Amino acid sequence: MHLQAKDYLQRIQQFSVPQRVRILNVCGGHERSITHAGLRSLLPKAIELVPGPGCPVCVCPEVDIRLALALALHEGVLLAAFGDMLRVPINAESGEIRSLAQAKAQGAAIVPLASPQEAVALARQHPHRQVVFFAAGFETTMAPVAAMLAEGVPDNLAVLLSGRLTWPAVARLLDTQASAFDALIAPGHVATVMGAREWNFVSEQYQIACAVAGFTPDSLLAAVYSVLRQRLSQPPRCFVDNCYARAVSESGNLQAQRCLDQVFEVIDSQWRGIGVLPASGFALRPAYQAHDARLIFATQQRAIAQAAPQDMPPGCACAEVLLGQRYPDQCPLYGRRCTPHTPVGPCMVSDEGACQIWWASGQHAA
Amino acid sequence: MCLAIPMQVVEIDGYNARCEAKGISRDVSLFLLQGEPIIPGDHVIVHVGYAIQKISAEEARSAWELYDAIL
Ligand code: SF4
Repeated sequence: MHLQAKDYLQRIQQFSVPQRVRILNVCGGHERSITHAGLRSLLPKAIELVPGPGCPVCVCPEVDIRLALALALHEGVLLAAFGDMLRVPINAESGEIRSLAQAKAQGAAIVPLASPQEAVALARQHPHRQVVFFAAGFETTMAPVAAMLAEGVPDNLAVLLSGRLTWPAVARLLDTQASAFDALIAPGHVATVMGAREWNFVSEQYQIACAVAGFTPDSLLAAVYSVLRQRLSQPPRCFVDNCYARAVSESGNLQAQRCLDQVFEVIDSQWRGIGVLPASGFALRPAYQAHDARLIFATQQRAIAQAAPQDMPPGCACAEVLLGQRYPDQCPLYGRRCTPHTPVGPCMVSDEGACQIWWASGQHAA
Repeated sequence: MCLAIPMQVVEIDGYNARCEAKGISRDVSLFLLQGEPIIPGDHVIVHVGYAIQKISAEEARSAWELYDAIL
C-alpha cells in the first residue's frame, strides 16, 4: 500500500471515536476502491463506510430499459448502450426477455460501447438505419455525451438520455434521513467536472462533514481522516475538504459545464428504487430535438409509461442499498438467489453496483 | 461508470489526441478541455473516450498503482 495511506490510517487510529460515525459515499468507483483495498477492515469498528446511490445504471428507471428493449426488438433500431447497461434486469415474467443482453442473444441489434464516439462511428457505418444511443450516467459521463452532440452527430443518430445529477440524491438522503449519516465522501470524478463547490450545501445546509476523494486508498483515507477531524473537533467544524486536489478544482471543468448547459436542460427525474427527485436529470434542449429518441419514439414511450412497470424485482433490497439503509449482505437474496451469474437486481450487475462490488471482492458471507 | 484513467498524450490533431497508457493506445477527444493548452507528453484523465482534466505526471502514476491492483 502507498506510504501515505499508512500515515492516514495511523492518524485515524489515533482518534478516539466515542460513537458510531457513518460516512456515506455516492460513487461506485469509491465503493470499488474501498472494498477491493479492504479499507473497512482497517478502520476502527465505530467508523462505517456506507455505499449510497453511486450507480447510474442501477438507478436508471425500468421504463427506460423497457423502451430501449422495445426499440431494439420491435422498431428495427440499432441500439447502442454502455456495456454495463446490457445485463441490467427488469421485472419481466419468467420466460420473457429480462435484459438487453437477453434481447441481443435472441438476435436484436444491440451493441455495447465504451465511448460516445463509438456511437457516432456506428451511425456512420449504418447510414440507412436509425441508431439509438441509450446513455445512462452521472455528470462525468453526461459531459462527454453533451460534447458528442455539441460537436455534431449524423442525422440517423438519436440519444435515449437517462443521465442523472448526483447531488440531488444526496440532498434527498440528507433531507429524509439526515441523522443516518455523519459525513459524506463526495465523488471525485463528478467533482472534476462540476467542481468541489457543488458540495458546499452539505456542510452549509446540513452541517455534515464532507471531503472530495479520488480513487486511491491514500486519497480515500485522507478523506476519511478529514471528515473525522471535522466531525470530532470541538465544536464540530464542517466544510468541504478537497482530498483530490490534483484533479478537482473549486469550480471544476468550466468548458464541460458549458457544454452540459448548452445541450441539456435539467429536469425532474425518476430514480429507480428512490422515486422522482426534482432537478436531478437531463433532457435534450430544443436545438437537439432531431436527435431526441424520446421525441422520435414518443408513442412507444407513452405506451410503456402507461403500463407502469414496477420498480425493483420482488425481494430485491436494491432500493435500500441505494439509499444507504442496508449493506448488500443484508439482502436475503445476496449470494443465494442473487449472484453476478444470476442477478436479481441491478446492484448485482453493474461494476458500480454495491452488491456486485462486494460479491466480486469475496464478501460471500451473507 | 465514472471510472476514469490517466493517459499520456502522444499526438494531437485538432480535438483528437492519440493517448497511451500501459502500452495501450486510444483516440481521445480533447473537446472538453478546449481552451486549455495541451501538448504531447501531458497527462489527462480520460473517461469514456473524453479527456476531462489535465493532471500532473505524478498524479497519473499514483492513480495507476490503484488500477494495477484492482483491474
Ligand atoms: S443482492 Fe441482489 S436482490 Fe439483493 S439487493 Fe443486491 S441486487 Fe438486489
